[in-house]
Amino acid sequence: MADRFKNLKQIKKNSITVDFFFDETKERFKLKKITPSPIDIDLLIKEKDTHRPGLALAGYVDLFSYSRVQIFGNTEMKYLNQLSVKARCDALKKYFSFNVPCVIVTNNNKPPAELIKYAAKSNIPVFKTAHQTTRFISLIHDFLDDQFSSQVLIHGSFVDVYGVGLLFCGESGIGKSEVALDLIERGHRLVADDVVFVMKKAENILIGSSSKVSQHLMEIRGMGIIDIRRIFGVRSIRYQKRVEVVVELEKWSGHKNYERTGINTKHTDIMGVETELINLPIFPGKNITVIAEVIALNYLCKHYGYDAAKEFQQRLNQLIKKKTENADSDKNLNFERSIEWFEHDFE
Amino acid sequence: MHTRPASAIVKIAAKYKSGFTISRDDYEVNGKSIIGVMTLAAEKGAVLTLKFDGPDEEEFSDEIVNFFNRGFDEI
Repeated sequence: MADRFKNLKQIKKNSITVDFFFDETKERFKLKKITPSPIDIDLLIKEKDTHRPGLALAGYVDLFSYSRVQIFGNTEMKYLNQLSVKARCDALKKYFSFNVPCVIVTNNNKPPAELIKYAAKSNIPVFKTAHQTTRFISLIHDFLDDQFSSQVLIHGSFVDVYGVGLLFCGESGIGKSEVALDLIERGHRLVADDVVFVMKKAENILIGSSSKVSQHLMEIRGMGIIDIRRIFGVRSIRYQKRVEVVVELEKWSGHKNYERTGINTKHTDIMGVETELINLPIFPGKNITVIAEVIALNYLCKHYGYDAAKEFQQRLNQLIKKKTENADSDKNLNFERSIEWFEHDFE
Repeated sequence: MHTRPASAIVKIAAKYKSGFTISRDDYEVNGKSIIGVMTLAAEKGAVLTLKFDGPDEEEFSDEIVNFFNRGFDEI
């Protein structure tokens, strides 16, 4: 089931309103609105990139990315301020004849009166921030990237186990929630159960979180809905976590080939991001919780450079090489004990 | 759709083998999960798409569609 996530519907916003943008970011970005009228609620931001309109202000408007959020840094301010009043009016009149979503002036610069005047005339909001331009651009890109990122809904349980994001999948009733509950009881942290929002951040990072209504709720068959945060406290939950390993729980089938060495890591594709996949057969008496912890720890080992399967392979290779090099050496080299001789071990 | 009809739906769904999803706009959830079904927070008049896929999909969809048509057995 390497492509079980292939057919998931990707949910993506095409636009956000400027009003929403301002509301969400005014505190974090220290934004202040300096145009007097309220923001038109139909005004939309449709692109995740921003634009510094130096050339457009200077009059060159071929390829002017007017539909992006416009950022006026020190350069734009200085340029406008050194123009004569007449030239400034002409430049801004031309500039605001384009449908820009909003203008943000950085560095707490005081924009010239003409900028406010022509912006207000075209009903385009102007904001001011105390942040420096480059710092602000990195903040706003982070926010817009997030807003315009693709996401999918995945049916599964998502838990942070020793800092590794394990996403448990499998058919209904196989016991995903029960495994998650067991892990929480052992001190790990629940991100989402049953409905997991997974969003793609940048090119290769998947971040999972829960839906607002079902945050930190869990259904246990035979019991009903329980609130993990209430029962286990704040240490048992997280709001979001990077998805690192998908663990697919399935009923054990004698016909299926399960991974035995771990030399070939399997992957699954979630929105184009290769994510490690482990198919975990379950049967009575098998402690999935402990295995889940070991999956996380083994992932950490590999992440920090140690791969047990590869290490084993290397030892074997060395041994075989040694045997072929001295043909008449002891044929039982591979049955050597790990310890040559034992000291007494009396009790 | 609040708790009672949602729980009735997942109870019906649990009897069948086939896969069952419910979607609303772009959001699709597993119809066998109570939290999933409730997450849709479908109000009266909401348009939902139901998908059945598997060996017993026909009886399954009949029973669910009937249940919807009966107004979730509410008065």
